[in-house]
Amino acid sequence: MKNSTLVFRSLGIIIFLAGLAHLFSFGVEISDDNPVPTQETNSAPVEESEAATPSETPTATSANDPETDFLIDKWQVSYKTEDYNGAIIYDIKKEDKTFNAYLHQYVDQMGYAVNAEGDKVLTVTKFNGRKGKGIYTITYEGKQYEVACKIARVNENTFNLSYDYYGYADVETWKRH
Amino acid sequence: MIEFLAKKLEWLDVNYWFYIFNDLSLFYIIIPFFILELIRYAYLKRLSKDLVLDSIANILTFGGFFLIEIILGILAITKVYYWVYNNISLPHLELNWATIICCVLLADFAYYWEHRTMHRIGIGWATHTVHHSSPHFNMSVAYRFGPLDAIMPIVFSLPIVMLGFDPILVLLSEVFVQVFQTLLHTEIIGKLTKPIEFIFNTPSHHRVHHGSNRQYWDKNYAGILIIWDRMLGTFEPEKEKVVYGISQPINSVNPIVVFFHGISRFVKKLGEIKGFSNKLLAFVKPPDWMPKQ
Repeated sequence: MKNSTLVFRSLGIIIFLAGLAHLFSFGVEISDDNPVPTQETNSAPVEESEAATPSETPTATSANDPETDFLIDKWQVSYKTEDYNGAIIYDIKKEDKTFNAYLHQYVDQMGYAVNAEGDKVLTVTKFNGRKGKGIYTITYEGKQYEVACKIARVNENTFNLSYDYYGYADVETWKRH
Repeated sequence: MIEFLAKKLEWLDVNYWFYIFNDLSLFYIIIPFFILELIRYAYLKRLSKDLVLDSIANILTFGGFFLIEIILGILAITKVYYWVYNNISLPHLELNWATIICCVLLADFAYYWEHRTMHRIGIGWATHTVHHSSPHFNMSVAYRFGPLDAIMPIVFSLPIVMLGFDPILVLLSEVFVQVFQTLLHTEIIGKLTKPIEFIFNTPSHHRVHHGSNRQYWDKNYAGILIIWDRMLGTFEPEKEKVVYGISQPINSVNPIVVFFHGISRFVKKLGEIKGFSNKLLAFVKPPDWMPKQ
């Protein structure tokens, strides 16, 4: 067998196997590709919003998991939309092995903060420390919608939360506050 | 299925399964199988003093190899592997079934090339000839190693670390391939079913590899999968009865002679070669190479 054949066949095998491993590590989403909105509500009062239950059984974490527990903290997200221009600080807590995010503070462009009423806006239903999914409450033109979302860790202090609700898509960057 | 393969695993669980196969297999399969082979030898009236002493020499050479392996292993794993992993590797892969399977297959492929190199370059054969020098073929032969047999695997496994695989996973995969290989050193098992013989390395294929019959030289280098040999032109099926050993037998069961005979023959060969560059070439040229003088 020619040396060039040996080289090309060997490289092909190595690229195929290494590529497969990288595909399964970085290319495969552990959640569904098509997030399904679970519930639609009209300007839900606080009680109703808090009472809303996610459609999936939480399976996220063990009691103490250093790989996922980095989420427990306050996180800041900046918005610049017609509805809201400023930042919102969320408080993520671990409750019964599930991570929940609550509204903590509204911060305007000048940096003035107003305490929020503590509505629950996010329930993380699955998270492996790197990727996950959950149910996120978004407000659009005065209406609240519960949509499936994906979470992707960027680093220890940043993760991205993305959703796509009938074409209304966004990626929020949550930074440790 | 895809979600299963991509599901993140805990190191504790992975170590546990490798421990069962890599470490404990010595007790639940290799030693019992070797005892079975000794019984078979006795039944066939082939259990001789030479065979017993040869088996003891095999185990003793493993002691020497293991000592060198431990020293090199500690240095390689803690220093070289992790330096490569942290400085010149692709993004680090997470631990899931897909990466474990790919790592084992890559370790198996690396083993193929490492093994082929050991046969095809002078310094490689100087150490690997020890493994082939036994005129017998049983589980103990799998433990018959030369003094430098631990070095080549490091060279060939470093590229796997560079591809983003965790050094410990690479090491565990290499041992996995080696343990699988150990199980092939037997005359008890004949040919297996065609699909298995086509895909996997089997005792039959490995008997060919240990054959001193001319048509069996430098064939069937595989660890787990024989398809590497089929793809790269080194496959040979078992047809003629295999005569084990090397073309120049050592006729000794002295463990020191067995362990060092390859190196001593290589040093002697170097002494016969004239010219410094020719001496250097002898390290990387095929074992039977001699300069035109």
